[in-house]
Amino acid sequence: MTAAVMPLAAGELAAFGKDPWWIILIKAVAITVFLLVFTIFNVWFERRVVARMQHRVGPNVHGKFGLLQSLADGIKLSLKETIKPKGVDTILYVLAPIISAAMAFVAFSVIPLGPEVSIFGHRTPLQLTDLPVGVLFVLAAASLGIYGIVLGGWSSGSTYPLLGGLRSSAQMISYEVAMGLALVAVFLYSGSMSTSEIVGAQAGGSAVDIFGVTLQLPSWYGVVLLPSFLIYMIAMVGETNRAPFDLPEAEGELVAGFMTEYSSMKYLLFFLAEYVNMVTVSALATTMFLGGWRAPWPISLWAGANEGWWPLLWFLGKVLVFLFVFIWLRGTLPRMRYDQFMRLGWKILIPVALVWTVFVATARATLSAGYQRQFFFGIGAVVIVVLLLSFVYDAVAARREKAEEVEREEADQVEFDPFAGGYPVPPMPGQKVPGLEPAAVAVAAASAGAGSADSSGGAGAEGAGQQADSGEERGRG
Amino acid sequence: MNGMAQPDNASYYATYTTVLTVILVGVAFAAAAFGANRLLRPTRPTREKLLTYESGVDPVGEGWAQTHVRYYVFAYLYVVFAVDAIYLFPWATVFAAPGFGWVTLVEMFVFLGFIAVGLLYAWRKGVLTWT
Amino acid sequence: MGIEEKLPAGVLLTTVEGVVGYFRKASVWPATFGLACCAIEMMTTGGPVYDTGRFGMEVFRASPRQADLMIVAGRVSQKMAPVLRQIYDQMPEPKWVLSMGVCASSGGMFNNYAIVQGVDHVVPVDIYLPGCPPRPEMLLDAILKLHHKIQTSKLGVHKEQELEEQELTALESASTSEMKGLLR
Repeated sequence: MTAAVMPLAAGELAAFGKDPWWIILIKAVAITVFLLVFTIFNVWFERRVVARMQHRVGPNVHGKFGLLQSLADGIKLSLKETIKPKGVDTILYVLAPIISAAMAFVAFSVIPLGPEVSIFGHRTPLQLTDLPVGVLFVLAAASLGIYGIVLGGWSSGSTYPLLGGLRSSAQMISYEVAMGLALVAVFLYSGSMSTSEIVGAQAGGSAVDIFGVTLQLPSWYGVVLLPSFLIYMIAMVGETNRAPFDLPEAEGELVAGFMTEYSSMKYLLFFLAEYVNMVTVSALATTMFLGGWRAPWPISLWAGANEGWWPLLWFLGKVLVFLFVFIWLRGTLPRMRYDQFMRLGWKILIPVALVWTVFVATARATLSAGYQRQFFFGIGAVVIVVLLLSFVYDAVAARREKAEEVEREEADQVEFDPFAGGYPVPPMPGQKVPGLEPAAVAVAAASAGAGSADSSGGAGAEGAGQQADSGEERGRG
Repeated sequence: MNGMAQPDNASYYATYTTVLTVILVGVAFAAAAFGANRLLRPTRPTREKLLTYESGVDPVGEGWAQTHVRYYVFAYLYVVFAVDAIYLFPWATVFAAPGFGWVTLVEMFVFLGFIAVGLLYAWRKGVLTWT
Repeated sequence: MGIEEKLPAGVLLTTVEGVVGYFRKASVWPATFGLACCAIEMMTTGGPVYDTGRFGMEVFRASPRQADLMIVAGRVSQKMAPVLRQIYDQMPEPKWVLSMGVCASSGGMFNNYAIVQGVDHVVPVDIYLPGCPPRPEMLLDAILKLHHKIQTSKLGVHKEQELEEQELTALESASTSEMKGLLR
């Protein structure tokens, strides 16, 4: 079995930076509008899906299918009074939601939405811009958004928001490390950090020959680099403070976390920033792992699927899948405790990501140096050795456990002392009350002689339960 | 240099000015939202309304809680790993190009080894346990 | 205007008050103030079958800064009354209060020194809902009546005029102690 090395993406960055100013303006406004409308849709979608998962219906009164609900939420929030509590630090209080919201929008500017199209006669890629360090830019913008949360919590001048903000930000930075490390494997394969080139690198997969039949291997990094994809998915849920990692925002825990003292428009901006963040990390996941705007397999057989404006549809579909997964997790999983998910982030995700990076780097190096066969044999040998060791370990552990159980049972057979320590004590599980059964039989016989119907009915057939009951009755009476 | 085509200087800076435009559009949007809010909202501040929220009782204390030092430690660890990730990113993009052989691989493994030892040290010291 | 007659419900000729009222009633966020047994019925109303989420009210905000409606569900003790007032004060305008159950409306079955005899001694109530506890359908009815009140409430100068009229009417009408017979 031979596998060709993934080809490096051809240089596509030359297409950017040459747009006239009006195209840039159109694209910037279009992206802002797209994000706002998508957020409105997202809020409605989340409430409907979570409601369905909870056997409810969700908003369906205002507007057809309840579509006006999120618009009503937004307008109501802008018509509410803005309270600026006494102890706040004014400049930071106002600045914090602006930072969060602006950075959330900015991070979306390098996401590729489609190939080259013609806008009013000018050929331009469906992407606001692209940088040679595109993905690093997205991560940096997301990190700057965390500033908004920390400052919001600190400037509110109250303990609940301060603690909530610190916890939120500690959680977000922990999961950002895992995100970054998971993406390193993608860069190893695509040879570039620019988002359009990463999409291009997922364009064609390598082919593999099995018994003379040529099969196209999947080229999406979500399949090729599955552990990276899984680490990234867990990290992206942790990064955006969404369930099951939403303890800092949980209502019972810290009121509304860092948003406690925010009302009306500033609250709306934080709310908006959170949902736009969700869309951004989903879009980044789509770009890195699901082939971006390229059509998935059955559709890609049609030649026109990756031309013109169609890729926008595939892109939207993939982002919607991720958003549905976010909402699904929220509707299904219970919240994790804070120390549990900090442990998950630092002690599990980061070491796994480091080991996986080492593995992928070694794989890439050996593949490009031509040592495929030795590499795969080596991997096979390691896997078999690990399996054998795990069998041995399981057998030893089972034997040890059985020995422990026998020991424990023997320890339980301690003689039951009803007045241990001077107080009447009940029997422990496994201990038997000595002398109960013979005495109960004698009691039943005596009661039968006295003419009590219950005990006589129970003496022969019922067995220990009835005897114990009659014994108790005797004791009480 | 490698498989990536270097754009010429003018278009390179043009991409960054585009990003700056988006930042400005975002800030302008936020400012417009605040402006609209100021025009449309009722304003009736009362003394109690402006009090800090503390579940309905009068707030005591300064409003600055004493925070645990572990937030600082986690931020510090994050900085270390973020810098590590930033070193990994360009290495990953050039690593498979011809001319960079096993030496590059082993160099980066040494670097990752240092970081891993640091993480292990923090782990054993109990820093990563959120009590 | 031909097109106005064709669009439903007077969409084009609606007033600012109508639009603002509609959006305010479409998104009323309750604040969690479940004190006693009525809270159970309130929770049930948020669940399946009686779903308040249909009206956009499934989000119970914990912080009063983000809430519009305070549903006082349960008996308010003398000790809880200042807390209630403080939470009410910390809600931004426009805000409404729904007193759910007889204990919140009038002290209910607790006619003693420990329970505030009606939460309207503490906060201004917009709609009273009797019941011990009221069924979820009754709570939904009260919420819908409140929605109607929000939709038809006036803004600005009209509101001041309305308040003046209401005050005049209240001053001229007979006091409760002078009313004879069944007060229906």
